[in-house]
Amino acid sequence: MDVQAEVNLPLHKLFFLTYLPIDGPFGGKKEMGQLSPRTRLLLDCLFLDFFLFQMGESNEDIDQMFSNLLGEMDLLTQSLGVDILPPPDPKPPRAEFNYSVGFKDLNESLNALEDQDLDALMADLVADISEAEQRTIQAQKESPQKQPPSASLCVPSFSDTASLGYGANVAAPSQYDDDLPPPPADPMLDLPLPPPPPGPISQEEEEAQAKADKIKLALEKLKEAKVKKLVVKILMNDNSSKSLMVDERQLARDVLDNLFEKTHCDCNVDWCLYEIYPELQIERFFEDHENVVEILSDWTRDTENKLLFLEKEEKYAVFKNPQNFYLDNKGKKENKETNEKMNAKNKESLLEESFCGTSVIVPELEGALYLKEDGKKSWKRRYFLLRASGIYYVPKGKTKTSRDLACFIQFENVNIYYGIQCKMKYKAPTDYCFVLKHPQIQKESQYIKYLCCDDARALSQWVTGIRIAKYGKTLYDNYQRAMARAGLASRWTNLGTINAVPPAPPSTGVKTGTTQANGQLPQATQSMNTALGEDWRQLETTKDKKPGPGLGSHDPGAPRAQPLPKSSLPPPPPPVRRSSDVGGGSPGTPPKAKGAAARFPAPPDDFLPPPPPPPPPLQDDELPPPPPDFNDAPPDFVPPPPPSFAEDLPPPPPPPPALAPESVRTPPVVVKRPPPPPKRQENPGPPGGGGGEQDFMSDLMKALQKKRGNVS
Amino acid sequence: MAGMKTATGDYIDSSWELRVFIGEEDPEAESLTLRVTGESHIGGVLLKIVEEIKRKQDWSDHAIWWEQKRQWLLQTHWTLDKYGILADARLFFGPQHRPVILRLPNRRALRLRASFSQPLFQAMVAICRLLSIRHPEEMSLLRAPEKEKKKKKEKEPEEEVYDLTKVVLVGGVAPASFRGMPAHFSDSAQTEACYHMLSRPQPPPDPLLLQRLPRPSSLLDKTQLHSRWLDSSRCLMQQGIKAGDTLWLRFKYYSFFDLDPKTDPVRLTQLYEQARWDLLLEEIDCTEEEMMVFAALQYHINKLSQSGEVDEPAGTDSGLDDLDLALSNLEVKLEGSAPTDMLDSLTTIPELKDHLRIFRHTLRPRKLTLKGYRQHWVVFKETTLSYYKSQDEAPGEPIQQLNLKGCEVVPDVNVSGQKFCIKLLVPSPEGMSEIYLRCQDEQQYARWMAGCRLASKGRTMADSSYSSEVQAILAFLSLQRTGGGGGGSGNHPQGPDASAEGLNPYGLVAPRFQRKFKAKQLTPRILEAHQNVAQLSLSEAQLRFIQAWQSLPDFGISYVVVRFKGSRKDEILGIANNRLIRIDLSVGDVVKTWRFSNMRQWNVNWDIRQVAIEFDEHINVAFSCVSASCRIVHEYIGGYIFLSTRERARGEELDEDLFLQLTGGHEAF
Repeated sequence: MDVQAEVNLPLHKLFFLTYLPIDGPFGGKKEMGQLSPRTRLLLDCLFLDFFLFQMGESNEDIDQMFSNLLGEMDLLTQSLGVDILPPPDPKPPRAEFNYSVGFKDLNESLNALEDQDLDALMADLVADISEAEQRTIQAQKESPQKQPPSASLCVPSFSDTASLGYGANVAAPSQYDDDLPPPPADPMLDLPLPPPPPGPISQEEEEAQAKADKIKLALEKLKEAKVKKLVVKILMNDNSSKSLMVDERQLARDVLDNLFEKTHCDCNVDWCLYEIYPELQIERFFEDHENVVEILSDWTRDTENKLLFLEKEEKYAVFKNPQNFYLDNKGKKENKETNEKMNAKNKESLLEESFCGTSVIVPELEGALYLKEDGKKSWKRRYFLLRASGIYYVPKGKTKTSRDLACFIQFENVNIYYGIQCKMKYKAPTDYCFVLKHPQIQKESQYIKYLCCDDARALSQWVTGIRIAKYGKTLYDNYQRAMARAGLASRWTNLGTINAVPPAPPSTGVKTGTTQANGQLPQATQSMNTALGEDWRQLETTKDKKPGPGLGSHDPGAPRAQPLPKSSLPPPPPPVRRSSDVGGGSPGTPPKAKGAAARFPAPPDDFLPPPPPPPPPLQDDELPPPPPDFNDAPPDFVPPPPPSFAEDLPPPPPPPPALAPESVRTPPVVVKRPPPPPKRQENPGPPGGGGGEQDFMSDLMKALQKKRGNVS
Repeated sequence: MAGMKTATGDYIDSSWELRVFIGEEDPEAESLTLRVTGESHIGGVLLKIVEEIKRKQDWSDHAIWWEQKRQWLLQTHWTLDKYGILADARLFFGPQHRPVILRLPNRRALRLRASFSQPLFQAMVAICRLLSIRHPEEMSLLRAPEKEKKKKKEKEPEEEVYDLTKVVLVGGVAPASFRGMPAHFSDSAQTEACYHMLSRPQPPPDPLLLQRLPRPSSLLDKTQLHSRWLDSSRCLMQQGIKAGDTLWLRFKYYSFFDLDPKTDPVRLTQLYEQARWDLLLEEIDCTEEEMMVFAALQYHINKLSQSGEVDEPAGTDSGLDDLDLALSNLEVKLEGSAPTDMLDSLTTIPELKDHLRIFRHTLRPRKLTLKGYRQHWVVFKETTLSYYKSQDEAPGEPIQQLNLKGCEVVPDVNVSGQKFCIKLLVPSPEGMSEIYLRCQDEQQYARWMAGCRLASKGRTMADSSYSSEVQAILAFLSLQRTGGGGGGSGNHPQGPDASAEGLNPYGLVAPRFQRKFKAKQLTPRILEAHQNVAQLSLSEAQLRFIQAWQSLPDFGISYVVVRFKGSRKDEILGIANNRLIRIDLSVGDVVKTWRFSNMRQWNVNWDIRQVAIEFDEHINVAFSCVSASCRIVHEYIGGYIFLSTRERARGEELDEDLFLQLTGGHEAF
């Protein structure tokens, strides 16, 4: 596998940059501003209706960046099978563009992706975004407005390495509110729990408390903002491969769960992520609690290492037949017989005894092994013993009592790998080798220890024993979780509803969001595609501005009824935001927009392919204001936004009138689907993918359309 | 059961004279003579005795002990006939609860009143309740070892004996907590001190004492201890214990149920102490590396308990650590006046810049001489160390840049030699690179060392623990100066007057390491191990210590010398909580292991002192016990079976009958 790209959310950073200069009045503090509004702006940015921005002095830069961005989007859509105009010319990178490095990588990696993977990635992204959005809403809700204006703040930079000590981060929030025009009370409109009345509460403590809460939130958001992602190519056992996005917080377990969703395999406990170092000829499976991104970041850029998804029964062999590891008296044949007969109850009690006490019992294991001598191809036979604290050997002429033992290695800083074909490569006495090395070491080195057992049984005992010594109870917990997961899976199969929304597997906190998003993938993507198709069709029919070459051929057939496109085409809230940001418009507007956005990832009921359109009502009161503002803008900026924008909406061309009728039409729908905000607050992520994607994608398309319009 | 008549025939009924001694078994005790008949109830006899004594006193705890039969006459409704008491019976009317001195696992002595009339198991329940130790079934008492004949009347230092004889526990409920301790301890200053002794770890022992104390030199020696266990189903009196005797209180069964730092401070501490003494006196063997970890934990625990950081609740919740600290920092600062100032301090990540001498070796350094070191300008920021030829070149490309995340940091310090080196083993794709930083003085060393340590864990110097880390390092350096190394006393440990702060590393390791290492060699190794445990709270550290102890291969094995049926030589039987182990006496090798889970039944033939055990698949094992009575073996096996039946759901309820049934047996007394 290769680490194809580091999508260290440069996407967002890019957005900040583009956004900031616009922030004319606050130009001085722009760098600070970019931190916290990030999430707020994300949605706007992704809707890509940036043409309407009032541009400041740095128009050109922004133009370029957006063009680049569009390029990416084009790519995305292309690989989705939707034909569009040729990608725009790449713009010459400028100084600031180092920020987009990650993005470019994404570009590359995206090229390599397959369609369905891309869908998944998009789903991931969208889920993230909406999640982030919700957080912001929450944050805003809770943040009282009063903030001492703190000036002259310098945040170092956004380079990935500047993984800001939180010291730096903390500074952000206080700035946050100053920079943002009107975040205040409006969120209340959406959120049922009214925040404690901001400000005036006499109690100083309360203020302090509120302040602390806010800071906390901000910090969390900042953490979120730094979430690193990798696009990972995973080889399947049928020689195909899948790419998926793995975020920094995901453990191997989460990635496995994702893969289960994608492959519809039997989800048994033996499935594992398996890393192979072709160069060193070593390999191992990831433990379920290991952090995948962390492991992969140890790989070098040009690595040949691969990541596989396969079944290894060694992974949890110890829990299936603990007696083979715990009761194996060397050389006692009679024992073996009894072992095999061990019944389930005894196994269970043996496991209980070994793993559930105050401390985990490491199997007693000792015996002669061959050790490869540093830097040579010769092997020396020594008597080794396994203890909880490490591997020891008996020095020459000594006994194997504890006091005579010499420490060979301790497990803190090493991982255990299987050595493959060491007989050939290193002239090992047998092919049953295991290898201990620091995870960061990627090349041959004297710090890699090779040990060789006499037979396969000894090898499995040693490897398992070392894992138990190293990971302790975690291993058992992993197993139980894997069992639970496997149990769930089999139940679904029985019910024949694998595709149904899986109840979130008991994964830890944050991760659920992404997992879930992927879980819904099959459906989501489908509807996404059809929605796109509809979009296109509609665009074609309503306005034959520029029929793209492939357009005609592209599936126009999705025989969806009229309402569908509408629903999947929520009039983008962004204009509203724009108005507020640019012109310092009415304070009420932006939060509303956010409300709409946040509503996408609403509970599972938006399962129905076309989620009813949440936004219309918003537009009702929001859209009117923007046009005046924007009307000033077009001259400055190339694309004339208001017209194109209007054209997206089904019937009538002129913006304001168009909105009115729709809003009239929609209210019942909205009533039918009242957003349950409390739920959303509690679990921001989970159901996110489904609803949001369509809207997002359609907006994306709109943006592209606009862009095309500009070009023409 | 004929009555007796006097010579004059005055008594025509069947009454006779019964002589009862007042007090504990003492030949010179005053005695009373009562006229009784065979039909007299014990209760009536007691009443008569009390009337005869004519002393106002609470007699409620008194009962009659029948010396010849070694039996208490506790059934007050039984008649003398039923007991079979005749006029020649030597009866003693004395208290059922008598003071004994308990030698606790922490080696402190404690005087308390224990029941001499109930089976030891019940007496233990009461004792543990008094000491607020849960799960009394895991503990038991041993006879104190025979005093070695004192050759030259060594003056035993007067030691403090804590006294709990006056404390009375009321009611059957668990004692309420008051002022952070069970209410019955808060009566007086003495009892309060006693509670602290029980619940707080003791300072390390004097190394000299440690060397003097007897240590087992072989497996055979380790069997000695286990011959002294008292019998749980009989009372102390029956086992020949007298008032004022010294007994050892120990955890007998190595199966610690539901160990909870919150509810078990005394239990946890005593368990820790027992583990510690086990290790220090080499009752259980461990490797050098393990010993260093144990030593570091002891050092850490001692430091915490000395500094009085016993209040667990005050400990920070580790989960939100960083965030909360940052927040509270920020909050404090937000209240302050100068916002720019605070923001500055928050945004700047502290960095270290200095001239350091660096020695680099990508291969293994053979001999380290000063010559290898070159002066460089070193900048340490976040987790990255960069060095330059000189300060002027600092803005440019560094000669090398190392990310210390995940690296190994090893101190290489000799205080008396003024050598302050930090050895870094930095992993990279190509392997490990070794680099040595040489600092000029302690201050510089402490700052850089602390930075390196944090960086190796992926944290920066902005981390809240940085300054405490620096302090800890400085403290340890000063310790090294005062401790074993600097004084020039060489390998001879310093006297017991090691100050509270200056800690003698010899008090933390088993004597064989004292012989093997000089103090100044030990100290850095302990320090090195300490860095991994420095963040633990007191109870966490104790728990970690216990866990590490439990992870030792030889943990929890009680040894008894036995002779297997059909074998001609003595062997060792090891009894652990889940298995029996047959061990070769001379070599110490494990010959065979049987697990309790495969056990069908076990029988004891008390006459020939033989234990016979049947396992699944018709495996039969029989052995006679040599070093200890077969009662002890029987009780160990039964006890472990009993302990394995405990369930969390049942809480602390004890099925006493089951215990006695499993451990009691039908030995003829």
